[in-house]
Amino acid sequence: MDLIEISWVLLIIGATAAVAWLIAPYITKIYTHESSRIDRIFDPIENLIYRTIGVDKNRGMGWKEYFLTGLSVNLIMMAIAFSIFLFQGVLPLNPQHFSGLNWNLALNNVISFMTNTDLQHYAGESTLSYLSQTAAVQFLMFSAPATGISMAVAMIRGFRVGAKDLGNFYLDFTRTIIRLLLPLSILVSLVLVVLGVPQSISGYAVVRTIEGVTQQIAIGPIASLTSITQLGSNGGGYFGANFAYPFQNPSPVSDILELSLMLLLPTALIFVFGRLLGKKGESKPVFIAAYSMLGINLLIGFLQKVNLGPGIETRIGGFFSTFWTVISTSTNTGSLNASLYAMSPSAVLSSFMSMFIQSTPGAVGTGLIYMIMYVILTVFIVGLMAGRTPEYLGIKITARDVGLIMLAFIIHPIIILIPTILAYTTGAAAQIGIGANAIGFTKIFYEFSSAAANNGSDFFGILANTPFFNIATAIVMFVGRYAPMCILLALSGSILGRKREAMSGLRTDSLVFAVVLVGSIIILVLLVFLPFLALGPILAFFEGRMNFFG
Amino acid sequence: MGSSEARKGSRITSLSRALLDSVKRLSPFSLIANPVMFIVEIAFFIVVLMAIYPVGFGPLAETGERGFYATVATILLFTVWFSTLADALAEQQARNTANSLRQLETQVISTIVITEGWSRKYVTKPSSEIKRGDVILVKKDEIVPMDAEVLEGIAMVDESLLTGESTAVKKAPGDVLIGGSRVISDTLTARVTVNPEDSYIKQMAKMVESSKRPKTANEKAITVVLIGLTAIFSVIILTLIGISLALRLGGDLSVFIALYVCLLPTTIGALLSAIGLSGISRLYKRKIVAKSGKAVETAGDVDIILLDKTGTITVGDREAVEFIPFEGWDERAVGEAAFLSSWYDDTPEGRSIIKLAYKRGYIPKEINELSMSKIYNFSATTRTSGIRLTEVNDEIRTGGKENRRRWWFSRKHADKLVRSTPLTEVEIMKGAPDAIRGIVDSVPMEFDRITDEISSAGETPIAISKDGKAIGMIRLKDVLKQGVMGKIADLKLMGIEPIMITGDQPLTAESIAHEVGIDKYVPRAKPADKYDIVRAQQAESKIVAMIGDGTNDAPALSVADVGLAMNSGTEPAKEAANMIDLESNPAKVMDVVMLGKQLLMTRGAITTFSIANDVAKYFAIVPVLFAATIPQLQALNILGLGLHTAVLSTLIFNAAIIPALIPLAMRGISFKPANTMTLFLRNALIFGVGGVILPFIGIKAIDILLIILRI
Repeated sequence: MDLIEISWVLLIIGATAAVAWLIAPYITKIYTHESSRIDRIFDPIENLIYRTIGVDKNRGMGWKEYFLTGLSVNLIMMAIAFSIFLFQGVLPLNPQHFSGLNWNLALNNVISFMTNTDLQHYAGESTLSYLSQTAAVQFLMFSAPATGISMAVAMIRGFRVGAKDLGNFYLDFTRTIIRLLLPLSILVSLVLVVLGVPQSISGYAVVRTIEGVTQQIAIGPIASLTSITQLGSNGGGYFGANFAYPFQNPSPVSDILELSLMLLLPTALIFVFGRLLGKKGESKPVFIAAYSMLGINLLIGFLQKVNLGPGIETRIGGFFSTFWTVISTSTNTGSLNASLYAMSPSAVLSSFMSMFIQSTPGAVGTGLIYMIMYVILTVFIVGLMAGRTPEYLGIKITARDVGLIMLAFIIHPIIILIPTILAYTTGAAAQIGIGANAIGFTKIFYEFSSAAANNGSDFFGILANTPFFNIATAIVMFVGRYAPMCILLALSGSILGRKREAMSGLRTDSLVFAVVLVGSIIILVLLVFLPFLALGPILAFFEGRMNFFG
Repeated sequence: MGSSEARKGSRITSLSRALLDSVKRLSPFSLIANPVMFIVEIAFFIVVLMAIYPVGFGPLAETGERGFYATVATILLFTVWFSTLADALAEQQARNTANSLRQLETQVISTIVITEGWSRKYVTKPSSEIKRGDVILVKKDEIVPMDAEVLEGIAMVDESLLTGESTAVKKAPGDVLIGGSRVISDTLTARVTVNPEDSYIKQMAKMVESSKRPKTANEKAITVVLIGLTAIFSVIILTLIGISLALRLGGDLSVFIALYVCLLPTTIGALLSAIGLSGISRLYKRKIVAKSGKAVETAGDVDIILLDKTGTITVGDREAVEFIPFEGWDERAVGEAAFLSSWYDDTPEGRSIIKLAYKRGYIPKEINELSMSKIYNFSATTRTSGIRLTEVNDEIRTGGKENRRRWWFSRKHADKLVRSTPLTEVEIMKGAPDAIRGIVDSVPMEFDRITDEISSAGETPIAISKDGKAIGMIRLKDVLKQGVMGKIADLKLMGIEPIMITGDQPLTAESIAHEVGIDKYVPRAKPADKYDIVRAQQAESKIVAMIGDGTNDAPALSVADVGLAMNSGTEPAKEAANMIDLESNPAKVMDVVMLGKQLLMTRGAITTFSIANDVAKYFAIVPVLFAATIPQLQALNILGLGLHTAVLSTLIFNAAIIPALIPLAMRGISFKPANTMTLFLRNALIFGVGGVILPFIGIKAIDILLIILRI
């Protein structure tokens, strides 16, 4: 990295964090239900929705009800999207006459989009109809981050002093979409259209090139899909080539804009966290920890220079490709503007770190949920050294709390490691030509890490469209998404109304704690994954590789 | 010579007992309570099997180096043994200190009166053997062993440690004597009204058996983390073994097991129980019996300490510092009157008045009339005391001023002094200003002003009257306990707020509180008020510690998070409290809080240290995991460990760190009082950062040693 590149990194990240800080008060109001001027516009729409589905908006939910409501809503959406994928061949809005997906790919797809993963074992432009792209994919791309944010907000409510319930899922979900995701993505879409991203449902264009050959150009409602892809930590693209494709990312300006969008909401939620708690200072360690780990990820990522070559768009270049990859995995968005194959072992190592930590700042909602898990675990382990029984926000951490946290922490390695071994022992890896070496192992390990972290980028793409990978990653994505949410909501629910101690122990809003938090997260994550990283990207690094081709 | 050798002998016996005990604890059935160590023991058995029959392990024991397996197994066994040794040592230590406490308990000796017909027999017995209904004889300067009812005699009793009331109380037949109070004049016969409560001694016995000691909430939570980490590392090792088999990486099972055991939080797993037990032992050493481990932990969390002024902040005695005459009288007259009225007042205050008068040279000429005087003892109803004696006229007295100066002041010789010619009788009384106001005809203008002036300075005014006329005042000042200001400053530094409870007037209370640096105080408090104060603080989510001794304190002691009862206190108080100070020193409540913090810090420090250690162990073992098939991983061997010694060095370090930390676990980490975040930062640097760095050095050192020794 030279000085200009470092300046780009600081400028883009700094500007994004600043915007995130500015919109945090607005986002907070969405969940505190504080009245504001825009209620006049949104209230009627929301009330109509509540009336239609018969929701009593004044009723709060306990953690079980909240979680199960969210899960059921998600399951219903998955069922709808599943049918669309399965039967897109006979459904309208299919000018290219694509046939329906096979059941395991359809299953993988719905779980992938519903869980905010957007792992794509297909190429959109040659597989999905307009109906699938909009009614299924785009619909889930709004619902998934809305679910994630709602769950995170519900979790925060449990920590609030004097809270009586975790809120109402229907309300949080609706308000997230109506007041946050829709307006923002419409705004961004317009900007993208201005920047040259197509937005059309008139069918693929057929043009005659200057060489006199007829060529079919895939266009569609790309701008609207692209905006929510980046804003909502989704990452799935309209095209198999994702953001390397000019129609999704036509210019340097769009590249920088789209890159920043990934960081925007996860960062804003960090500030919302403190505001919702009524203790703005508590955002500080979370922000410092998330951003210092992001910084560490960038340092690791740029350890090896990525040069122009196969898999790198000439117009984007090695630097912006690497930068994008690091930010994309740091927010578990998983979108790419270059091929993962072209990435250096150090950039891939950085991606692995993000997918293991999941809070750098992580995906919208889940990034925060994981961070709170780390905060409580850290407070518990090191807090005793302040000479008091560990407490977070004045809440004494009991054996049960620690049990829940440990459970949430242990699920991630289990759902990554077990299927990784299974891929080899069942011969599924060999079936798609993956060898038993550092490169092969890295790819398999990446596949499941990406699925478990609901990240979505992968080495395989359409190659992994086999029953084993479709089903295995579907299970991993599902558990990786809902299990930690469920556990952290259970924790929050049990804290609800628990006795608060006078906060006089370890100060969690201090810089010292932020530093200890970073150290503790990195040590804990390395302890779990270091041997496997050593067999994958670290080994590739020591073998002197520059990319993952071959 | 005998005693030191005997002590040495007993130390050897207790050490050998601990050693034997530690070996017994190696049984898997007793180890199962410690999940981490139980798993290490299972690992040991597997490696033993590998050493016996390596072929049975197929591709996981391809090298078949039996010698290596046997070495690994031996180190694993030592790892487990070090853990049981730590337990056994901690238990032995607790048992030893508990035993010495029991001896201390029996050292309070009292006289029992046995009536047989018309004759009386006197027997001395340790207070623990006195039963309800026994008749006891308590002489001057003796301690009342337990609550009793006076049968015969009248005496002044000092209850200041129990009730906080500095003034001595007169006890007559029918009055209740409080256990722990001290008779300061005369002799009393009384009947014991309570049974000795030995339940806390029984509690103590239970606490020192580590196997019977219930785990505290915090220990349970740490155990959960340890189990969680164990589960994670189990998944990791099983996956690694699976990958090694699937990719044919040729890893050896013994090396996987070595890595597994090194990653397991063995250090804290081995020492957790010993740390808790040692925390209780450290209280025992300060002669404090905790009824549960929880109480010790809670002590570390205390936000508020209720401190009784008397006995905790002040020594309970006040000291005369000034004589203030009223209009028409001089200082000498007041000083001499005070001297005379205090001659038979054997309270510390009375003595301090005599001392001050002597220092100022106000020795009255009536000193030789004292033996003929009439004494008015202090009584609760009049709240005054005094003397009636013959006044000596200056002119007639023989010897004159010069002579008097030569008299060496001594009570012994007072009676032998030359008698002067008696003239008139004079009555001198002293007492609280409002009490004196009640017995004089009128008070001078400045009476109230001086009273207020003294009170507002936090001092105590004593008025003096002579023949029904108020002549002046004595200024009495509270005497601070030694070191109390430093202790209070330490408490405040650590974020603990002291609240002073006193029966004094608001002004007096404010002044003392200000002097020692206490911001909150409750004046005019009765012992029963403590309950409300504890409740009010708890309602604000504060954790409250308090001291108590009287029966009045029992309700407050039972609701307080940490209740420290004085051994000299009443049985209900001792029963309600969760700790008992056998030395009955209320100031020790501050030490209890520090000990609680030390226990929590020690536990947190060793937990952090244990987890931080793992980083280095990875860098030591991962490079050699697949040494044969993936030599490139040697690049991670940043320590440059020998290919054949890396695993053993790491395992040896992992085992050796346990005995190395046993002294720390048993002694507790030392700390200087500081604010919470400073303490945290210091510990985090030493045990967190140090915990990451130390094993790199330690493992490398052992590795060099192994290579030199060619093992």
